[in-house]
Amino acid sequence: MIEILDPTTEAAAPQSIAWAPRPTALDGKRVALIENTKFNSDQLLARIGDILKSEYGVAGWTMYRKHNASVPAHAEIIEEVKTSADVMVAGIGD
Amino acid sequence: MATLTSKRFSVQDESDAIELAFTRGWSDGLPVVPPTETRVRAMLEAARLEPGHQLAFIRDRAVAVTAEKVAINAVMAGCRPEYMPVVVAAVEAIGDPRWSYHGPGTSTGGAGVLVIVNGPVARELEINSGDNLFGPGWRSNLTIGRALRLVMRNVCGSLPGLLDRGTLGHPGRLSYVIAENEAESPWTPLHVERGFRPEQSVVTVVASDAPHQFYNQLSPDAEGIVTTLADDMRISGTVMGQSTYVVVLAGEHMRTIAADGWDKKRIRQFLFEHTQNSYAHLKRTHRMSGEIAPGDEQRMRPLVASPDDVVVVAAGGRAGAFSCYIPGWGSAKSSQAVSKEVKR
Repeated sequence: MIEILDPTTEAAAPQSIAWAPRPTALDGKRVALIENTKFNSDQLLARIGDILKSEYGVAGWTMYRKHNASVPAHAEIIEEVKTSADVMVAGIGD
Repeated sequence: MATLTSKRFSVQDESDAIELAFTRGWSDGLPVVPPTETRVRAMLEAARLEPGHQLAFIRDRAVAVTAEKVAINAVMAGCRPEYMPVVVAAVEAIGDPRWSYHGPGTSTGGAGVLVIVNGPVARELEINSGDNLFGPGWRSNLTIGRALRLVMRNVCGSLPGLLDRGTLGHPGRLSYVIAENEAESPWTPLHVERGFRPEQSVVTVVASDAPHQFYNQLSPDAEGIVTTLADDMRISGTVMGQSTYVVVLAGEHMRTIAADGWDKKRIRQFLFEHTQNSYAHLKRTHRMSGEIAPGDEQRMRPLVASPDDVVVVAAGGRAGAFSCYIPGWGSAKSSQAVSKEVKR
């Protein structure tokens, strides 16, 4: 018999970020849309923002543009969204 | 040395261990060397690292990469223990926020990690910088790069179809390690250009497409060769991305260009100026969005944002009028070339 060692990550690193409490409804909420700079992503997000407004009653939306698609939203966006929005829509698509 | 904490699996023999690596999804598709405790400890001792030492933290995946896990994967890749410090430096480099792991490690662009080794370690470990540069035949080139990819797969979660979404990938994603031919190069070595001393050993990592070979057997001078190169490069990679480019100049071309008095800086500047495309061409060929506007025939977009984004390396066989260029992944803003010293 021989013994071999597991090469994979067995435990996730401790989570250092506390999740913000989730809203139970979207009525009157301010929405931040995080645009990833890819072609047409702004149009898709604007459509989502409009649907959130017409069908879910959000107060309005503001779009923020990341520096580029492959990095997280930069610090200025995060700081502003903290005070100017209640919920955000972010994603990545090709 | 502290206790190794990784989970242990008992198997009948080495052959069963190889099969277990396949069935548990630990392999890149080739057989691995079974990572026994003795082999893993030899790897850690060669780099003088404690198993729990954190070599990198991949922020966007919240993954800590420990020396123990890197050593296990280096054993599996077939590394000799003395290769471990080079693997460690490469892991530190891809964990550097400037390399921005999650982009090139996940993207549909399918980048490999080109590892360029400079300094004494390249010669001591016989890391190939000559004939058949990217091809098979050298244990250190093949296993160091393989170890890095196994770390990405097994530790960082870059699993094909999950958090590795490469549309095509390329063969360099199995292993992609070269050394600069400092012994024969007339130019400043890459690591010295990047701020290290000549006697330091350094790895430089670049998120990269596959190599594109070009041919020029006609030119007796530098400008002729780099003109061919620029013409080949002009429409390459994502064209619009303004990535890093690596240019690898092999023996014949290197000697011809250097004999003409051109240094790496002049090569970079020439390539920056002669790889630009007109807005009109980019729009006609559907690389840039929008209709052609007045002035677009004259308005030029550089292939790279700056001459400094062209990394020039002297390497490859002595014979043959071939060299190559390697488009980088995405944009240089998204993922930069990163250099780390090999600590021994």
